[in-house]
Amino acid sequence: MNTVKLYIRSMGMLLKSHLQYPLSFFMQTIAQLIMEGGEMLAVILIVNRFRQLKDWTGGNLFFFFGIMSVSFYITEFFGRGITGDFPSMVRTGRLDTFLVRPRGVLTQVLCGGIDPRRITCIAVGVAALVIGSRMSEVVWTPLKVLCFAESIAMSCLLILGLFMIEAIFCIHSVKSVELVNALTYGGRSACQYPIDIYPKPLRMLFTIIAPFALTLHVPAAWIMGKNLYGWPSWTAFVTPLSGVLVFGIMTVLFKQGIRFYRSTGS
Amino acid sequence: MRAYLTVFRMRMHMELQYRGAMIGGILCQMFFGIVLTALYRALYAGHPQAIPIEHVVTYVWLQQACFRMLVSSDPDLLDKIRSGNISYDMCRPVNMYWFYYMRIMAQKLMGSIMRGVPMIVVAALLPKGWGIAWPHSFAGFCAACFSLVPGLLCMCALENITMGFTMRTLDPRGIQSMLNLLMVTFSGNLLPLTLFPDSWQKVITFLPYAQLLDAPIRLYTGEYAVSEALRIIPVQLGWCFALTFLGMWLWKSNKKRMIVQGG
Repeated sequence: MNTVKLYIRSMGMLLKSHLQYPLSFFMQTIAQLIMEGGEMLAVILIVNRFRQLKDWTGGNLFFFFGIMSVSFYITEFFGRGITGDFPSMVRTGRLDTFLVRPRGVLTQVLCGGIDPRRITCIAVGVAALVIGSRMSEVVWTPLKVLCFAESIAMSCLLILGLFMIEAIFCIHSVKSVELVNALTYGGRSACQYPIDIYPKPLRMLFTIIAPFALTLHVPAAWIMGKNLYGWPSWTAFVTPLSGVLVFGIMTVLFKQGIRFYRSTGS
Repeated sequence: MRAYLTVFRMRMHMELQYRGAMIGGILCQMFFGIVLTALYRALYAGHPQAIPIEHVVTYVWLQQACFRMLVSSDPDLLDKIRSGNISYDMCRPVNMYWFYYMRIMAQKLMGSIMRGVPMIVVAALLPKGWGIAWPHSFAGFCAACFSLVPGLLCMCALENITMGFTMRTLDPRGIQSMLNLLMVTFSGNLLPLTLFPDSWQKVITFLPYAQLLDAPIRLYTGEYAVSEALRIIPVQLGWCFALTFLGMWLWKSNKKRMIVQGG
């Protein structure tokens, strides 16, 4: 519990420090809004021109887009230490100071960064979710809300886990490995559309290796009253748990990786 | 003149050094290309459009191949603006605007040749409907290559305008990401311009962003007939001049209000 308290306190402090430069913060937040708005514009234009994608209606597509951007940007908001700052921590040797403190390295890395500019991206995602659920005529029940919350939480863990792959590579090679971006940012771009439109290799990739399909698409499809893979509806509650699995594996690997960490010097 | 050519050559050589980053970049861009191709193919399966799918797929691949041309900026210049070291550049016996123009041009050109050519080769080997199609005609191909030149010049001018704004705000993240977004959206990287609503297309094809890659690609796929090149290239050149003048004016006025802090 102590760790959670520590995390919340550091979040508060970091938030304050970001707000020290209000104008710059405001500008960047607006820039983020426009950026994510542009992504949504692409979906709107696609829906406008094509009406539907396989069996998915326009509303379904907005919902998929929304659930993806909400989970992705919540992760970037709170996990900035891993998703953004880590390579520079290794390069500059800042990670060294973490090793001598009486807390886990991962905890400290996560406590070390926050990206509140992403709030506008999350807002765009929420707007897409509202539009999507209206258009798909979703009837929200407590069970669906629970499933939705689980899906978001597990996807956040999954995305964090995927970013940790980059961090683990980074410990070994010092330089950040851009190729992993194909899984993280590529996963976001690909899986903001339902998985079943992709050919088999891509489907396998996003179901087994980076299981966005399990954490996002299966529950989202169930919420909208559709069925993705023809699986029974209880799977909507079970498959998202793969997110915590990926995160767990990556945490273990991360701890292993830290053992091999060699400082770049100061 | 020789000084600028030397800068250009040196920068080309430097860009050649980053071969590891190149391979990573190619694989990443290939991945995005395949994902987008799959998406458009699925969209077309349910709702065919007037523009054939082969054109859209070709459009996607050419955009991905030239991604580096679209969004890449000079990291040294950004550093100099932030640290104030740009004041040293005022001492150089060259025009600052053209000095950095040549640098960014070399970076964009070399970066996209290194990534784009292997990508186009691989994309050409993919099965029909997934890979890049042959150009509509040989004349169209020539016209496309030719119109890439003013396209590239426009891109460098746009980049320098962004830098001009950065010199004022010092923080590149706000204004730069906004201008980059406009670029990514209206140049057809996010969604091919050919798939924008038809009524929008009348306007956006005249915007400077459409001159960069959209116009050459449309000449390549035959969306624009070869004879239309005579209409398009003057528009491109017009934007080139306008953007360059705007950039030069911006840099000049920035120079006037620059304060060197000493130290």
